Amino acid sequence: MSRIKRHGTDGSLLSSLPWTLASLALALLPHVIYLPVWISAAFLACGLWRYTIEKRRAALPSTWIRAALALACFLGVLFEYQTISGVGPGSALLAIMASLKLLETRKRRDQFVLLFIAIFLVMSALLREQYLWSLPYLVVAMIFIMTAWLRMSAAASESIRRSFATGGRLLLYAAPIAIVMWVFFPRISSPFWAVPIDTSSGVSGLSSTMSPGDISSLSLSNEVAFRVRFDSQIPAARDLYWRGLVLHQFNGRSWKGSEPSMGRRAAQQIEVRGEPVRYRITMEATRQHWVYALDIPYQWDLHKTRMSAQQVLARDFPIDQRIAYQVESYTDYRAEADMNDFVRDRYLALPDSSNRRTAELARQMRRDAGSDGAYINALLALFHDEDFYYTLQPPPLGRNPVDNFLFDTRRGFCEHYASAFTVMMRSAGIPARIVLGYQGGELNPLGNYMIVRQSDAHAWAEVWFSGRGWVRVDPTAAVAPERIELGIAESMFDGIGLEWGLSAPSKFLHQMQLRWDAMNAQWNDWVLGYGPEKQNAFMALLGMDNPSWRKMLLTLITLVIGMILLISGILALRYRPPPPDRATILYRRFVAKTGHQLSIGESPAAFAMRASSGSRLSADTILDITNSYQEARYGGVDALALQRLETQVAAIP
Amino acid sequence: MIYALMSFAMLMGSMNYNNNLSFLLTFLLIALGFVAMHQCQRNLVGLDVSFAGVEPVFAGQSSQFRIVVTNHSKSPRNRIRLYVDTTLSDIHDLEPGESQVFVIALATDKRGWVKLKRFGIRTLFPFELFRSWAWLHMDIRGLVYPKPLDDAPPPPASQMALGHRQHDARGEEDFAGLRRFVVGDSPRNVAWKAYARSGQLLSKQFSGADTSSQWFDFSEFDNVGVEERLSTLARWIIDADRTNEDYGLKMPSDDIAPAHGEAHRHRCLEALALYGLEHE
Repeated sequence: MSRIKRHGTDGSLLSSLPWTLASLALALLPHVIYLPVWISAAFLACGLWRYTIEKRRAALPSTWIRAALALACFLGVLFEYQTISGVGPGSALLAIMASLKLLETRKRRDQFVLLFIAIFLVMSALLREQYLWSLPYLVVAMIFIMTAWLRMSAAASESIRRSFATGGRLLLYAAPIAIVMWVFFPRISSPFWAVPIDTSSGVSGLSSTMSPGDISSLSLSNEVAFRVRFDSQIPAARDLYWRGLVLHQFNGRSWKGSEPSMGRRAAQQIEVRGEPVRYRITMEATRQHWVYALDIPYQWDLHKTRMSAQQVLARDFPIDQRIAYQVESYTDYRAEADMNDFVRDRYLALPDSSNRRTAELARQMRRDAGSDGAYINALLALFHDEDFYYTLQPPPLGRNPVDNFLFDTRRGFCEHYASAFTVMMRSAGIPARIVLGYQGGELNPLGNYMIVRQSDAHAWAEVWFSGRGWVRVDPTAAVAPERIELGIAESMFDGIGLEWGLSAPSKFLHQMQLRWDAMNAQWNDWVLGYGPEKQNAFMALLGMDNPSWRKMLLTLITLVIGMILLISGILALRYRPPPPDRATILYRRFVAKTGHQLSIGESPAAFAMRASSGSRLSADTILDITNSYQEARYGGVDALALQRLETQVAAIP
Repeated sequence: MIYALMSFAMLMGSMNYNNNLSFLLTFLLIALGFVAMHQCQRNLVGLDVSFAGVEPVFAGQSSQFRIVVTNHSKSPRNRIRLYVDTTLSDIHDLEPGESQVFVIALATDKRGWVKLKRFGIRTLFPFELFRSWAWLHMDIRGLVYPKPLDDAPPPPASQMALGHRQHDARGEEDFAGLRRFVVGDSPRNVAWKAYARSGQLLSKQFSGADTSSQWFDFSEFDNVGVEERLSTLARWIIDADRTNEDYGLKMPSDDIAPAHGEAHRHRCLEALALYGLEHE
């Protein structure tokens, strides 16, 4: 049994507590879908409990109850997440802290802590996700927090409208200063320490293994993988192969890539011809190392990103956040023209025990074709001419998936064709591998940029010829040329997508989606993508080429001080004290005539006392004028008093 | 302080995650800090402070200095409070053009003047993050009467005047003239007609007949210290005032003719309060 101590409240929190609760609830809102349900429920329960206590002026729960609750909740979070670092568990703990702190909030000032928690919750929500609506969310949450804060210290009788107006006004003054700081504060590109943002929610996208069915499941996802803004001519759709990662290990069923081995070798092994394609990619978080670029990237400005031995770009750390980078690619290239036998063997390796019929077919077709080139054409012709179908809903495959696919089902998606093709190549002694990435993309006319969605995910093959290097071959193009020529989005509206199992949304809805995406793209570009590169570009625009962080901080401080002075200037003009009235002017004239000086803060009566001794004026005159002045100045609307003062002062020689 | 620490922690977090929106949130908080500092200071600028008087009290009571603060500006001023040392007035909000009376209550322990050489005006508005304050030097003072002795002996009989009372307690006294209003005069005695005419606050003075009254004499004590004499006299005056009897006070420096009424009481007690302190 726990006894409840007498800690009654006096109800004085009633004016500010609802606002504090509202601020907390608002701050918690974006977290709700990520948090375990019991935490949101605990917050709601504690909030209601506390409000009822205040309303009924009842007692707060005892220390024992609170301690027991705190322990239970902490263990609950630990059990739920197994850790307490990271945004997920962090926000869970913040929510718990807010709930429990509510139960011991006794005085108005105790709400400080609650409001701080609310601010931290808002911040962790922003760390987790930054959508277009995150900015209005931030502003609204701040207005609520400001209002709660003001009400916490204001008189209990203050009207809500007034607190709201004051909070809004202060926020309005602060906004330009904050924006200047935001623009000028030097950005650095690498984190000090890596803490996972949140691992509890999934991110869709390509992974470093591929089994049949992996990509077709992505094809239904409308999520954006990355957006591209071209600086040069946009290449034809059939050239839009966005290279992601290379898979070369096959176990008979699924393909695997190796961890990227970093080396300069790979980049040096590329020869390029023709005009480069210049573009900028804004890529969504993938939690993978791969950095997508048009086949084949030659130059890029992304920090800590290198080209691996397999001619793909990879970053040193997983991409946890949206990133933007500039790339220069060449569609006409020659990569890795020489290859030693050890590496070559890796691209020929096949498991002995599986897909034997495929191996047999490959050897036979190669013999019939006579050359590697003719063999590839024969295989592509086979895909094209025989009853192979391109579909998003392929039938399941058995123990030997490639045999199964080639001889039985003949229905598949890009990964089936790429996989079968690569196995056929290797079986015939031609080094081959699979490249995962995206193909095509939809040009958004509203923002003049290209959207590459998860549904554009694609797998194709690369074969190696001595002296020629790696050559891209896309078997899917042989089966469903529209997939490559038109792209997924266009095929969808073309009717052909229906044959593949894609259903098209209404044109109008799609138009709205494009509009919304264009806004998001702008937002990502200018607000979220404002990093070291953009900042430097902006500074150059202002006439500061590559400024040091010192210089930028100095500019920042100067501007902020300037703005504060500007605001005080505006306020000073607005709040100019009223000009002295007639009575004051007369009184000052009189003071000057007494031969004394009015000291600061001296009341007229005190002055009269002091001046009446040792003045050339008589004490009576001084007292009379002082009386008249007080009457005229403070006595209300007495015109006579002012007239009297006028004549009295005028009468002094 | 906590606010600054929090802002710094948030700045570090934003830099670590390179998250532009949390940068914005952080800078918004920092900017709000600046704005709050500035607003806090502005909240006091241009306020008109004047002394509105203090009632005399007996030693041991607290002397309530009334100070009027007027907001002549067009913006409201919030959460203003006056203070001296650890003594705080109530908090008031001032709307544009509004005046408020603030009371600073100073404890008194001995008779004479209680002085308020300076006091502060301060505000924590808007966020209680900053405090702005100003010192005002006004050199104002309030009168403290001697603390009346609780177990004072009754006034000696020898000091009871002979003769009969000419006035009963309720009777109208003889009007003796006007004098300048002093603090402690009863509003009943203010010459309102004269005030309306001249604008001066004057008190009516009344006098009774000397012969019918009681005299309290400072010098007629045996082996009693000055303070105790004053305290005893204060007690007698208060008691006599309650019965509405006329009384006079004989001090070494001055005699106050017998009379009664609030103004008279004040004159007598003032003489006691300031006995020996006149040079100040």
